[in-house]
Amino acid sequence: MQTVLSIAIDALAYGMVLFVISIGLSVTMGLMRVVNLAHGAFAMIGGYLASYATRDLGLGYAPAILIAVVATAIIAVPIERLLYRRIYGAPELTQVLMTIGITFCVIGLANYAFGPTLKTIPLPETLSGSIDLGFRAIATHRIFAIVCGLIVAGGLWFLIERTAFGIRLRAAVDNAPMAAALGVRTQLVYAVSFAVAVGLAAFGGIVGAELLPVEPYYALRYMVTFLVAVSIGGAGSIPGALIACLLLGAIDTTGRYLAPEYGEFFFYLAVIVIVTLFPRGLAGRFK
Amino acid sequence: MSLFEAKKLRKNFGGLAVTNDVSLSLAAGDRLALIGPNGAGKTTFVNLVTGHIKPDGGSIALAGEDITGVKAMQRVRRGLVRSFQVTRLFADMTPQEHVALAILQRDGKASRMFGRHDAMRPVVEEVGEILHLLGLSELAHLKVREIAYGQQRLLEIALAMALRPKVLLLDEPAAGVPQSETARIERALDMLPPDLAVLMIEHDMDLVFRFAKRVMVLAAGTVIFDGSPQDVTQDVAVREAYLGSYANAGSAA
Repeated sequence: MQTVLSIAIDALAYGMVLFVISIGLSVTMGLMRVVNLAHGAFAMIGGYLASYATRDLGLGYAPAILIAVVATAIIAVPIERLLYRRIYGAPELTQVLMTIGITFCVIGLANYAFGPTLKTIPLPETLSGSIDLGFRAIATHRIFAIVCGLIVAGGLWFLIERTAFGIRLRAAVDNAPMAAALGVRTQLVYAVSFAVAVGLAAFGGIVGAELLPVEPYYALRYMVTFLVAVSIGGAGSIPGALIACLLLGAIDTTGRYLAPEYGEFFFYLAVIVIVTLFPRGLAGRFK
Repeated sequence: MSLFEAKKLRKNFGGLAVTNDVSLSLAAGDRLALIGPNGAGKTTFVNLVTGHIKPDGGSIALAGEDITGVKAMQRVRRGLVRSFQVTRLFADMTPQEHVALAILQRDGKASRMFGRHDAMRPVVEEVGEILHLLGLSELAHLKVREIAYGQQRLLEIALAMALRPKVLLLDEPAAGVPQSETARIERALDMLPPDLAVLMIEHDMDLVFRFAKRVMVLAAGTVIFDGSPQDVTQDVAVREAYLGSYANAGSAA
């Protein structure tokens, strides 16, 4: 029973972290139709900035998160303008080459600037302890990650489905020339969406640093995991991404607990099965 | 004073004048139909007016201001609006969201970017009025892909109305709509604001005769007739231009 609960909490926390990071990729891939392999690099930049802010600048956890997320989004703005804008609508291979190039550049820069070591983001006391449920204690950070995931899911759904910006975004995605004919500044809408996606990646990178440790090869190591989450969920779908991430989190965590010697075998076995059964993802919104 | 004035618009494609010194002016409340056989240059003319292609000569003015060099998007903001063809509606959005988007764009309230569109009372009320006027209230929350073609065409008119244009270009508003539903389109057209200047491009001569107070005929890039709907069928040049197409095919051609 104890083990089951441990696995469940860890799986849920891992799934939520995966969701927070992947949902941004789901937005860029599903809504803006860019295969953005550099998404993990932005999560990593967020992690590095948060680590720097807490350890070197001595900032608290919350302000460090805020600064790192905003800074990562700001870093993304010129990258979007100069590089991504050229590959909107380009063949997927071009997008893959461009974004993988960006990934390796970021890895190189991170290695050069911060060295090859693992970067930690010290948790505040309120999050580093555990919550006693009477029969079992749960690490507070896990609960925090789960709550963050739920807030991101709800907030993003609200943004896309209920706000004036969401209408413009969906219109621009559905039919850019028509949206432009109505006067929607599609380039601005894309830029804002990209910044939001990158900000979420950074947020996930920081909140999930306990589960996905921040180091230079982070951008490459988890790239496939994020891509898998998006394609299983169906690009562009928030509920799809949430279900996919929780499912993948559960499979991966269970596998690690019960059969660690198999590595990620069960994770990818599940991926193959799901892709075979649902080639368009669990809830593909487009295509 | 004319609200809209195109003077000697000219467009050449590979040495061929597709639009050859076409002049057209519209006053508030005008209902002008632009007709012409296939290949007459109607589409090119419309694209010149909307700003989607640049003219090789001539000028365009809206409300006395020269807009020849103004981009398509800015022309929409200034009140020169083209009705949207169904294939360009947003398949996954509801009529309510379509009209709300048009209103938000018209008002250009950037500060409302992240506000709830369905909690902005003036927007919601106006959306409701427009959809009600066009008989689309019951479909307000269905996705466009789920509603009938004729109703999609009504939604195009709703969108155009929501933008509160000064000049409206209607591009074959009844094309593809089943005969049984064209009456609804006509009723919707009758509800357009009386002071709006409307330029309709249409093949259906029945609709042209019912809607337009004035008819212009374009043939081979040139205006060959400009007058009342009653006179157009009697005009020799028009008959010649249509010979072999509409003249033989009857009114529904």
